[in-house]
Amino acid sequence: MKKLIYKFALLAALLVLMNWIYAKFFFKNDLIKHSDEVELAWQVTNDSCVVVYTGESSNLTYSWKDKDQRKISDFIFDHFPGLKCGDMTKSASHAEVYYYLLENIPENAPVETVIVTMNIRSFGYDWIESNLETAIQKQLVLLKNYPPLFDRFMLAFKAYDIKTEQERGKARYYHLCNDKIVFPYPFNYSTSHEWDYAKAHEGVNDSEGVFNYPLTILACHYIKTYGFQIHENNPRIKDFDNIVKLAKERGWHLIFNLLAENVDRANELVGSDILYLIRQSHDFLLNRYGNIENVTVVDNIGDVRNELFIDQNWTTEHYSEMGRRTIANHVAQAVSNYYPDIYVENIAYDIPKNHYRIDLGFDSLTVYSAMPYGLTIKGKPADIDSNCEKVYISSRLWKDESSALPAIVMELYKNGTKTHFNNLSLNDMTDAIGKWDFTTAVLPIDSTFFNADEFRIFLCNPTDSPIHIKSLDVSFEYDDYARTN
Amino acid sequence: MLFNSIEYVIFLPIVVMLFYLLPHRFRWMMLLVASCTFYMWFVPKYILILLITIIVDYSAGILMEKYADNHKLKKRFLVISIVSTCLVLFIFKYLGFVNDNLVALCQSLHINLNTTVDLILPIGLSFHTFQSMSYVIEVYRGNQKAERNFGIYSLYVMFFPQLVTGPIERPGNLLRQLHEEKKFEYDNISKGFRLIIFGLFIKMVVADNVGAYVDMIYDNPSKYNSWDIILGMFFYSFQIYGDFFGYSTIALGSAKLMGFNITDNFNTPYLAKSIAEFWHRWHISLSTWFRDYVYFPLGGSRVKFGRWAFNIMVVFILSGIWHGAAWNFLIWGAAHGLLHIVEKAILNHLPEKENKGKLERIVIDAFKIAKTFILVTLFWSLFRATSFANISDLFTSLVNNFNTGEHLNVENSIWVYLGLFILLDVLLFNSRFDKWCDNRPAVVRWAIYFVLIFMIIACSSVNNFPFIYFQF
Repeated sequence: MKKLIYKFALLAALLVLMNWIYAKFFFKNDLIKHSDEVELAWQVTNDSCVVVYTGESSNLTYSWKDKDQRKISDFIFDHFPGLKCGDMTKSASHAEVYYYLLENIPENAPVETVIVTMNIRSFGYDWIESNLETAIQKQLVLLKNYPPLFDRFMLAFKAYDIKTEQERGKARYYHLCNDKIVFPYPFNYSTSHEWDYAKAHEGVNDSEGVFNYPLTILACHYIKTYGFQIHENNPRIKDFDNIVKLAKERGWHLIFNLLAENVDRANELVGSDILYLIRQSHDFLLNRYGNIENVTVVDNIGDVRNELFIDQNWTTEHYSEMGRRTIANHVAQAVSNYYPDIYVENIAYDIPKNHYRIDLGFDSLTVYSAMPYGLTIKGKPADIDSNCEKVYISSRLWKDESSALPAIVMELYKNGTKTHFNNLSLNDMTDAIGKWDFTTAVLPIDSTFFNADEFRIFLCNPTDSPIHIKSLDVSFEYDDYARTN
Repeated sequence: MLFNSIEYVIFLPIVVMLFYLLPHRFRWMMLLVASCTFYMWFVPKYILILLITIIVDYSAGILMEKYADNHKLKKRFLVISIVSTCLVLFIFKYLGFVNDNLVALCQSLHINLNTTVDLILPIGLSFHTFQSMSYVIEVYRGNQKAERNFGIYSLYVMFFPQLVTGPIERPGNLLRQLHEEKKFEYDNISKGFRLIIFGLFIKMVVADNVGAYVDMIYDNPSKYNSWDIILGMFFYSFQIYGDFFGYSTIALGSAKLMGFNITDNFNTPYLAKSIAEFWHRWHISLSTWFRDYVYFPLGGSRVKFGRWAFNIMVVFILSGIWHGAAWNFLIWGAAHGLLHIVEKAILNHLPEKENKGKLERIVIDAFKIAKTFILVTLFWSLFRATSFANISDLFTSLVNNFNTGEHLNVENSIWVYLGLFILLDVLLFNSRFDKWCDNRPAVVRWAIYFVLIFMIIACSSVNNFPFIYFQF
């Protein structure tokens, strides 16, 4: 036995020597080969970046129609000329990846502010157990803060969350079937699986009332993707907590960029129940991270309208230029708190002003017979790109009764005189009573519109039953932005 | 649980420690629990299939011994046991294959048959059913006493180091050892450790690294130049050897840590001078199983040439389909059998030239080794291919792509790993790594450990290649 202990001691000494040799001669190459995202951390370090943005495909994707196809992070950095900024972006990344990337930034690097993408979808098991996860987990092994030889040992002996696609599928299915979803009002389904199943059987009809298979699949996918509730034990919560802890240790200003989800589409295909869950996840994250010192959560959740989402047939956070700019502006405002002297609020960019928005945040305006017009957006048709053929009008509102009279109205004026009037009944947009709902309506625009001097879009409610409105969003779009089936 | 997984790295030392800490009478229980845990790590429910085989063969053993004087009854128990064991094997391994062929045949005859069989093959089924059968046959033959302790018999079938890919043990070796009291000996720990690191090296560093290139070639042969296809085939010979030899060596080492000696499964097979010799050196526990339980009962070699050739073909075809329920395995087995017969036929007609010079002998031996290796490598392509279309694509590209096709960009390190493996394999001719190390000075031994451990950690493939023989 003595001999054995002696030999084990010798082996331990050799392991220390091996670690030194590995770290000195092999580790860097292995990092590049097996965990190439580490180069992103090296890059921001080499560039002496003060502000660092971490993101996934939302920061890489653009529409071919975008005049400016740069990233969200680039749009943010435009607001801070002269400040050294950099991004660490890789598709399919999530909080755990960001954590290890941030951890790989040396402690003596001049980083002051870190912007971390927070994506509600990434909290769902549809993402947590995605088929890409095994490859991601493999890439993270060498990034961990252990002796390099130990990390390589863990990689060699597959000591990470290694599952086959079949096993991942099973895990997703397990959570879909077993994770309870609880609503504060009666709801027919206790799990997303039941809900998904019912939706698949119920189907989704297109605008002509005909059953549409692709839309049904998409609706079911929305349920699978967003039909969850975030709890304390969600693995992503642990990852974001670790990021908060790391930021505290390093003295960084931390900004979570809570990305916009396609709430319009979710509402249209599934209804307000899915919006309730999205809102609940959003509230959970805001409550958890919004009150921590030196941590800001930039809330973009409902700020990008459906037509600004590039992928109309899937749930992504891929935005066209206006969507990316909207998010970038919000984040830039948050960053400006730390660099008020450098911050440039208005950035000139060469695209038509096609997008108007009023958002009262947590407040709302009550519209009823005594005050029948509310939340009016005014603009000049001359500012709108004349190629636009449609206007998307979205709002977030609450009504207590169903009535045919309340409507979203568009009026056109020429030389101070009303020349045109168009209205869309709220009843055609939502049947949600007694709860907040997102509504979307589409109106065609033609030469009548462009010949006018002014347009006004507002909510009109001549009835005694009040309607509360939080936001009004108007977006003029080209026809081929129209949703595809 | 895979031998090259972190779970096994934790599991094995715990089992070994418990083994030596527990009194002898409790050890088999602990090993049985450990073996069940090991097996259930894959797909837990399949242990029930194993349990059925164990119960049937355990009972058959006792009944055959009880009715030792009643030859008819004894034989009946043997048949029941073998048929039921083979039935399990047939249902899980061959039923799908038979069904697919029946459906294809019916379709060609315009008969409407549309059945499907979708059963997943339990890991290592072919290995433990053969091990179980060898026990029953040995008891029937009177070479082995029936095991009365159900737990120990279960452990004989389920002993975790060799449970899923062998070596296929005989009761005379393993069952006997399970009753012996094993004392802690430094030598066993040392040898076991050596075997494990050597096994891990050839599996994780050689086989898995080379495997990535093999996959590239076999996944899309038409894309590559003929020389690279040849290289891919050559690499596969080393992948399968490294993979299986590696697993068997780790099994040997794991058992050795607890003082158990299990059968050597390989003895430098690629230095064989003929197909017959190759099979004496490759997967020895399977070759000897077929020899003892199929070839000898058929008459072996003490028969006329025609009958002998028939016996050989039966054995090799059975060996082929033992590996997998597909035509390519059957053809692979038949090709080996045929070559074995041709070699023997040629040898029978060649006069043995005496008084050969040393150099002449070396050249002839080298030629024979090269010839055997090339033929075995060619046949491995039948084994590796995923379908007949894949085989056809491979050989068509091999013939046609000498002046076209992409080149494999093989990393230099691969040649280092392969070179080291080949060197060690040649050095280990007719020996074994642990024993070979015994004769080296301590400094050399530790230098070898250092290099091997370092390479296992720093140079192993990060891709997940399951052990090839798991599928059998």
